[in-house]
Amino acid sequence: MATMATAANDAAPRRKGRPRVTETAAPSLVEILNLVRTEQATTRQEIERQSELGRAVVADRLGTLGELGLVDESELGAASGGRAPRLVRFAADRGRILVATLDQTALGVGIADLGGSLLMEHHESTELSQPVSALADRLITLFRWILERHSDIQLYGISISVPGAVSDGAENLFQRATPGVLPGWESFPLVETLVAAFDAPVWLRSSVETMTMGELHAGAGRNQRTMMFVKVGKRIGAGLASDGVLFRGAQGAVGLIGSVPVTVGDRTGTLEAMAGSDHIAQDGRLAGENGTSPILAELVRRGADITALEVAQAAQMGDAAAIDILAQSGRLIGQVVATLANMLNPALIVLSGSIAQTNDILLASAREAIYGACHPLVSRDMQIIRSQMGSSSGLVGAAIVASEGLFAPPMLKDWIMAGHPRAHPLFQEMKKEIARRKVIKGDMVRPPDM
Amino acid sequence: MTIAGLGPHGERASAPERVLLLPEDMERARASGLRVAVVLHTLESDWAKQQLSGIIGMLGNCGVAVIDVIDCAFTPEVQIEALGRLIEETPDAIISLPVANSEVAAAHARVSATGIKLILLDNAPTGLLPGKDYISLVSADNFGLGKIAAEGLSPHLPDGAEVGVLGYDADFFATNEREIAFVKWMQIHRPDVTLRVQRFPALSAVAATTRTLAEAHPDLAGLFVVWDTPAIMAAGVLKTLGRKIPMTTVDLGHAAAIGLAASDPLVAIAAQQPFRQGESAASITVTALLGRPAPDWVALPGLAVTASNVVECFQTVWRAPAPQEVLRRLRLVGLKASDQHPS
Repeated sequence: MATMATAANDAAPRRKGRPRVTETAAPSLVEILNLVRTEQATTRQEIERQSELGRAVVADRLGTLGELGLVDESELGAASGGRAPRLVRFAADRGRILVATLDQTALGVGIADLGGSLLMEHHESTELSQPVSALADRLITLFRWILERHSDIQLYGISISVPGAVSDGAENLFQRATPGVLPGWESFPLVETLVAAFDAPVWLRSSVETMTMGELHAGAGRNQRTMMFVKVGKRIGAGLASDGVLFRGAQGAVGLIGSVPVTVGDRTGTLEAMAGSDHIAQDGRLAGENGTSPILAELVRRGADITALEVAQAAQMGDAAAIDILAQSGRLIGQVVATLANMLNPALIVLSGSIAQTNDILLASAREAIYGACHPLVSRDMQIIRSQMGSSSGLVGAAIVASEGLFAPPMLKDWIMAGHPRAHPLFQEMKKEIARRKVIKGDMVRPPDM
Repeated sequence: MTIAGLGPHGERASAPERVLLLPEDMERARASGLRVAVVLHTLESDWAKQQLSGIIGMLGNCGVAVIDVIDCAFTPEVQIEALGRLIEETPDAIISLPVANSEVAAAHARVSATGIKLILLDNAPTGLLPGKDYISLVSADNFGLGKIAAEGLSPHLPDGAEVGVLGYDADFFATNEREIAFVKWMQIHRPDVTLRVQRFPALSAVAATTRTLAEAHPDLAGLFVVWDTPAIMAAGVLKTLGRKIPMTTVDLGHAAAIGLAASDPLVAIAAQQPFRQGESAASITVTALLGRPAPDWVALPGLAVTASNVVECFQTVWRAPAPQEVLRRLRLVGLKASDQHPS
């Protein structure tokens, strides 16, 4: 609701007198396009029935949408007695969405169609600690490389998954300025730089939000309405899909469960500090050094670096000390998640992150803790599984964020008549502002080095 | 050796040693009467033949029958038809190298959907996920290969050089990774270098693409080509144009090894290890068929090859002696006794 209200405020003031044709046509165009896009209606008859618009209006609007290249009516459906109906399909290939995921150690980029289907992806190692300007340079270089390969189709939007809560993402139709997601980001205009380089609106969401969206639309959550997503890594976060929609809370800061305090024996700390991958690695190193884990001790003797992955591999090989470390992490995560599950009653809980996805012990231990602490009604049909999407879920989710953002009625109504989101008046305004600041501040928005 | 790249979905690499088979594993496999089919992009290249030898040899060690080996001739339609036919044969597993991206994705997804274990080589069509649509991907560290090629070319480039990159104009994970890594290394370590990228859509277009690139940039001082077959073709074109340009590429094929031995025009090669890759693919197949978890992505490191180590690297990669021409150029054969022991 917050989005709708703000969007209404964002819209241009309505003129007095008789409305223009574009103003009267836009609402029905938006409605019809979204019925087709979400496959709620696939024939003219279904559109007429669902929209309660007359045949002539539907025919006229479909004609307009066809001219704009946003729907395709070239296919025939199955006949149910008489003539086969012409199918109305959303033309997802009309435009492209550039997507990226930034996390602590890796940068992923890709390109998707307007339906949010990923067409290609590439991932490479990076360090988040490097200056944001260097990250932006690399991102833009990779985006340009991808666009060279898809130069025949127009870019409609850019969506980035970032490693922190995006507090103002829900209040705007698209990102109008760069939020301070991480320390240092306030001083570099990432969003403005992307807009200047690619002339397309930008969306930002936290990585756990995009992964939740990806899992919901293309992974284990497909066909589910209520899903909880838990990412276990250095940081531990959760996302929630409620009634098929991402729940963003008041400030886009949902699921920061890593800061919940937990206690083991006489030690108390945050869930992240007591069960995250840094803790697993630290306990693993200790077990290697004091010899309680023979496998990790052997690695330490050979001078290998013990990370959470080594501990997970040792546990898979039956090392008792490594099993204990992972079981404890799983138990603590499970206890916190169980509290949330009792509150929210999800149909599905998906555990993600490299340790949770590759290690049966952590998953089993979390499952035991969750099922053990849940009310029988909550746990009766609830499934707890590991994600199978890996880092792709972030990219797919980012594409869905942009796709839903582009076609959200408050956004769509102001660009649909022009056929391209860059015609949106607020986007035009933003570009003018960027150009104005560039003149004043000289090199604030600088092109990347190619 | 470390792996430089990440997998097609951002996976961290697992070493081939992760799927080493113990004698008891092989014994269990032998007792299971397993059947596997292999689907490759081609059976013509040395690389494909070596990889196939690795696969068949290791499966043989485990008593697994190879019931069919398909040559897709780089054609998606052939691969789709072959996979459909193989599904009817109900093998326990299929090892396949997808020849395209989205075009062959559905055909590969059908393999897993019917309960047949699918192991991919070199390329994972976008949208297919490990653990769900396939067991594992086995490939070279293609990002690392691009990096090795850049490192090998750099010492031969003067300050401010213009360098050509001949990429493959297809959405193929392996060649994409090589091109991205080569360009990234040059941008970081040789910011003085200007890169000129052109891509060929098929091998038949390599000559024309090379000619376009060379004619548009008469000052080219170096060239990287994403694999050896087009590299040799490009070298031929440059020779006819009277251009002598140092080149690097990926894969230590027969002709490439000869070019490298003379350091003309190839000055360095990043070599894959197809035999070892084939053995790893077979080990993963058996691991999965025995019901044990398999890593999402197994990557094999590349070898940095120059004229100084081409003979031993050729032997490592191909399990065969280096060609006579290589040995002659390096003056390892054809020498008189008096030449070898100067008085």
